[in-house]
Amino acid sequence: MGTDRYAYSSRLRRMNPAAKAILSLLALTLCLILGGIAPGVYTLIFMGCLTVLWGKIPFRVFLRFLLVPLTFLILGCLTIGIGLHPADTPVVAAIPVGGKLLGFTQGSILQMLSICSKSMGVVGAVYFLTLTTPMTDLTQGLTRLHIPGLLMELMELIYRFIFVLWETAGQIRTAQESRLGYRGFARSLRSLGMLASMVFLRAWKKADRVYCALESRGYTGTLKTLPEGYEKGNLCFLFAALVLAGQVFCYLWEVGIQ
Amino acid sequence: MSYAIEGKNLHYTYSDGTKALNGVSLAAETGKITGILGSNGAGKSTLFLNLNGVCTPEAGEVYLAGEKITYNRKGIARLRQGVGIVFQNPDDQLFSADVYRDISFGPVNLGLPPEEVHRRVEKVMAQLDITSLKDKPTHALSYGQKKRVAIAGVLAMEPEVIILDEPTAGLDPQGVSSIVKVLREIRDCLHITILLSTHDMDMVPLLCDYCYLLSEGKVQSQGTPEELFSQPELLRRHRLRLPRISHLMEILKKKDGIGPGSRVCTISQARKELRRLLKTNH
Repeated sequence: MGTDRYAYSSRLRRMNPAAKAILSLLALTLCLILGGIAPGVYTLIFMGCLTVLWGKIPFRVFLRFLLVPLTFLILGCLTIGIGLHPADTPVVAAIPVGGKLLGFTQGSILQMLSICSKSMGVVGAVYFLTLTTPMTDLTQGLTRLHIPGLLMELMELIYRFIFVLWETAGQIRTAQESRLGYRGFARSLRSLGMLASMVFLRAWKKADRVYCALESRGYTGTLKTLPEGYEKGNLCFLFAALVLAGQVFCYLWEVGIQ
Repeated sequence: MSYAIEGKNLHYTYSDGTKALNGVSLAAETGKITGILGSNGAGKSTLFLNLNGVCTPEAGEVYLAGEKITYNRKGIARLRQGVGIVFQNPDDQLFSADVYRDISFGPVNLGLPPEEVHRRVEKVMAQLDITSLKDKPTHALSYGQKKRVAIAGVLAMEPEVIILDEPTAGLDPQGVSSIVKVLREIRDCLHITILLSTHDMDMVPLLCDYCYLLSEGKVQSQGTPEELFSQPELLRRHRLRLPRISHLMEILKKKDGIGPGSRVCTISQARKELRRLLKTNH
């Protein structure tokens, strides 16, 4: 689903996921901490270049994934940028509404841009990780960071079986539709209810069978497995140093010109 | 003749009261492929779960390599290690999103060191010709590929006996041939005993060295495929049929008085018989 498909064909797929995660998290954290507009833009561009040029993810794909949060972001930022101000405030663009001014001030525009760039910088950093690392490697890497094993196992199982669940629901839905199960509102609701209960029952029975199969392979209570060896991720640390240095530089430069 | 795994007088009842196994006794000869023939609901899957410790029989004993199994923790662990089951639906068996890691699950549970686990996983992937699938996510595999990965996961534990529940069900004809080939290789090159269940009658003479007919919770008959197919009425009474070739030879004998009858069950045997008959008639 989504990013995983590309992660499996990325050039960085075999690189140590812990190294990639550290690079991503460091870039993300500093981008959030530093104020202003330039650090966020720099982070987005830098991590974007890493993803496309180093990770070999097609540029169009990266752009398409960026659009998803961008739409929400713009809508959200508009509500921050537009405000109701007293009549004599210096505004950049506003319309008079009942004695007050509804619009943008210079401060609110700068705030908007800052939040936008910060968020997109963070998104760029996260996409670097998710577009080059399959889900299963991520969960393994997180276990190493001492997140509870049970949580990780749940994540893995959910990820694995969500496809089966989706397929089953899809098949039941198609079968129902073929027998006119979704004609009219009342009928659709009833069919949907039957679908939900059927999916639940199937999932329950399946869990039983999966448990049986796990037991037959010597299940001792944990889903411990051994991944294939990873490539060393030393280059990640170099890039981490570069991105952090760049972010600080951009911040200081911006502070300097104000 | 040594038997890798034996069940003697096994009884088992489901939680809803139906008697699944009513005194089943069978034995799988070491290094051979033994087939359990039975219709749907005959109790084949339940029998297998009784043989690997997932279900405990109410009565009867299970013997692994000649030694009796006691159903305590040690005994069950011994059973699980020595007997591997490949279930009918590979989606029930593949729990990890990653092919490599799913195969490694069994060896890791055996407590083997990491280098040994890697060695076994790679060996088994080469044996089943799935090394190219190593980097793929599980949900992107086809049904036949998933079946191979499921077999690999069990083979990596290097059991003494591998049980397969309807291994060719749902596969296309090429898929069936390739599974038959894989199972024969496991028997001949790895000398692992195989016990499988099927109702694909055409595959039985190509694969099984010995067969048991399971129906209504009991073993109704046993023998080599030729011996079993010499009793067509028995098979039909228990919802099975002859292989197509055997059926042809049965009709030739019954209606036309030609040939040795239904014990001929493969194409090459039938060809030999027909050529012999044609030569003697001219």
